[in-house]
Amino acid sequence: MRNSHSLPFVVVLFLALCSSLPSHASEYLKEVILANDLYSEKKYSESAQAYEALIQKGVHSGYLFYNLGNTYIRLGNKGAAILNYIRAQKLIPRDENLKANLRFAIQQTQDKIEPPPPGTLATIFFWSSNFNLSELVNLTMVLNFIFWVNLVLWMYFGSPILKIARNALVCFLLLSFISIGVKLIKITGSELGVVLAKRVEVRSGRAMDAITLFQLHEGALITITRDHESWLEVRLNNEQKGWVPKTSIGT
Amino acid sequence: MKNIFPIHIKKAALFILFASLTLILANPVFCQNVSVSATVNKNHLSLDDILQLSITVKGTQNTPPPKLPSLPDFRVVSAGTSSSTQYINTQRSVFITHNFKLTPMNTGTFVIGPVRVRTNGKTYSTQPISVEVQKPSSLEITENKTAFIETLLSNKKPYIGEQLVYTFRLFHRVDAKNLNLQLPFDKTWFYKEKLGEPKSFLQVINGMQYHVQELSMALFPLKIGRHKIPSTVIDLDLLHQTQSHSRRDPFSQFFNDPFGGRGTRSVHKILRSKPLSVKILPLPDGAPNGFGNLIGQFYISAKLGKNKLEVGDTTTLTVTVSGKGNVRDITLNEPTLTNSFKIYPDKPEFKQTVQNNQLTGKKTFKFALVPLTEGSRIVPKFALAYFDPTQSQYRVAETQAIALHVRPSAEKEELNLVQPGKPIVPSAKPKIQILGKDILPLYIELDKFQNNGINSFSPAFLGAGFGTPVIFFILSALLIKRKNRLKYDAAFYRRRNAYKISTQRLKQLSLHSKNIDPKEFGRALSEIIREHIGDKLNLQGKAITAGEVELRLKNSGNNIAKTTRQLLDRCEALQFAPLAFDRTKELLDETENLIKLLEKPA
Repeated sequence: MRNSHSLPFVVVLFLALCSSLPSHASEYLKEVILANDLYSEKKYSESAQAYEALIQKGVHSGYLFYNLGNTYIRLGNKGAAILNYIRAQKLIPRDENLKANLRFAIQQTQDKIEPPPPGTLATIFFWSSNFNLSELVNLTMVLNFIFWVNLVLWMYFGSPILKIARNALVCFLLLSFISIGVKLIKITGSELGVVLAKRVEVRSGRAMDAITLFQLHEGALITITRDHESWLEVRLNNEQKGWVPKTSIGT
Repeated sequence: MKNIFPIHIKKAALFILFASLTLILANPVFCQNVSVSATVNKNHLSLDDILQLSITVKGTQNTPPPKLPSLPDFRVVSAGTSSSTQYINTQRSVFITHNFKLTPMNTGTFVIGPVRVRTNGKTYSTQPISVEVQKPSSLEITENKTAFIETLLSNKKPYIGEQLVYTFRLFHRVDAKNLNLQLPFDKTWFYKEKLGEPKSFLQVINGMQYHVQELSMALFPLKIGRHKIPSTVIDLDLLHQTQSHSRRDPFSQFFNDPFGGRGTRSVHKILRSKPLSVKILPLPDGAPNGFGNLIGQFYISAKLGKNKLEVGDTTTLTVTVSGKGNVRDITLNEPTLTNSFKIYPDKPEFKQTVQNNQLTGKKTFKFALVPLTEGSRIVPKFALAYFDPTQSQYRVAETQAIALHVRPSAEKEELNLVQPGKPIVPSAKPKIQILGKDILPLYIELDKFQNNGINSFSPAFLGAGFGTPVIFFILSALLIKRKNRLKYDAAFYRRRNAYKISTQRLKQLSLHSKNIDPKEFGRALSEIIREHIGDKLNLQGKAITAGEVELRLKNSGNNIAKTTRQLLDRCEALQFAPLAFDRTKELLDETENLIKLLEKPA
């Protein structure tokens, strides 16, 4: 039994990997406090800059995007606010405050365009919309761990309950893998964009002299279907689509 | 030209041609002139009679229905067609007759203008017929008639909007069938409503018993002025009982009455009532405030669900209006309780009934009242202004004012929003007024911003997360497999433990080598070697000889077979020729080396 010490070692390694904290954690938290204080003092421009700086440093928190969205709302920058709410929604999809504020921001826009409805796959795997990708991956990892541990226990003890648990875990594991796939398809399939300019003319081609098909206003939500040099092909619905300058859209 | 048709086909074709020509020439259409004539069964008739008009077309039977001229003074009903064929001196004639029944509606002399029939591309006209329609002779309006009708109006001088009852009665002493009633009705003058189902009863008039069919209608005059309600006309078949007059003729008796009893004779009759004159009066001046053209007799009552309640509680105010007249049209405004009550009106319920041959109704209005402030309150009176035609004056029906006391709202988990048996109100709570909209606040809890520094999508993290359990499983599976083998495979167990056991035994022997007899030492050392080899090769080690050991080792591909044999020989020699202690130490070391060599794979 010379290998009997390997299991505790692996578990300790895994837990250590999961619980390790970065050394700079306390530094950026101070910056978060500072940005929040600036907001409280109604120094919205400085607050927005502080939040943007944090994001530039690689701090990706849904709540940070949410706070930045709020700050832009206070600044009257509806497009940037909606963009940050949409970014936040990818990270904290179940947050009710975020949903309410996004609805509020959309109602403030001229076009009042709601986010597109989920596709067929997303409707079937409806729960995947309530989790971000990281949560789904972590959930799958936990399920994967439980599955293999259960498999070992079943091999050792041969209990029928463990066999049922094994079969159930296989199903859950498959579903969670499919959910990750659905999430990835949603993320990579079509990108949601927000009009940042006060008004943008959607044209029939990638030229400023192309025919204007329709106009969109700040905060309008569109689906980006193609990216070509400095132009983006955007779609409003199945019938209305066209080209807009890349600079006028935030993604 | 070559004749391509055989003779018998030619003959057949000629026969068909001849036969066709014969038939065509024989057809009366081709040989007869078409003529159209119109006849009536009588030129002088009374309003109780029916005129039979027959349009006969001679010379063809394929004609469309004739086009009758406009006959506003008659009611025209088709009575079917009949066709006939006559042969007179080999001359064939065909006829078709279209029959009509004309019921006179007015008296006077009328011309039944030319009737037009279009056939074979031509239009044929009949001669006009003049008929005279008279009133029924006084002789006919005698008592003891078989059947007659009467119409009655409850009031000949009604007010506009007043309910009138128009009654039609059919009296008949014999059975009546195929009744076709036409009630006069002018939509511009009256709005009508049926007063229940027709009634049937017996009545004796001048000693004669009549079956009476009665039908009543409620009429509501819509216009002021004199109006003549026209005659009601009913046409029906009266079935008279007949006695057999010719008992001597069994055949005629059989054909008249095949079952040997009394026969019946059907007589078609038209019965007509007298026109009724009515003078519709306008409503008098002096209508009270709130008068909404309600004419009749009305009663109004109000009641409150409960008189003591709390702020936010609910009570139902029920106002019931009933009476004779146009109850359906009654509307009530909400009670004037602004600022102190929230009022939710319910949809009014209306129920119409017929009482004493009069249309009566009941309309119920319900209001859910939710008090907003505490204190004593008065639900004001409900007033209903109407015109009573029986008294020819305006009246105002009123409810009593209702007092109620509203207490302050007690702390309750749920408000009593619904009273048993009362309509459900949407909400007893005053609605929250939205004064403004804003975004929800920032998140300031720092734990929400904790970045654990792990990139969930880094290959290392994913590899560790998904790979570690797999590695754990593989290792565990190997351990389990090994454990199971050690448990169930004895040869494997011996082989795996041979080195351990042999070294322990050698160590023990080494410790006691000074005190042990050289003979015994040689025997013990030989046993250790042989048992080790026995464990390795799954043999009985004690029973194996040095020669067998060499042979087995050679067979298993071991290259130290000879060395092992030599060492075993020396151990055996030691049992018979003891050596010095120094040599025993040398033997122990050699044995240990041998065991190590045997442990290595061949």
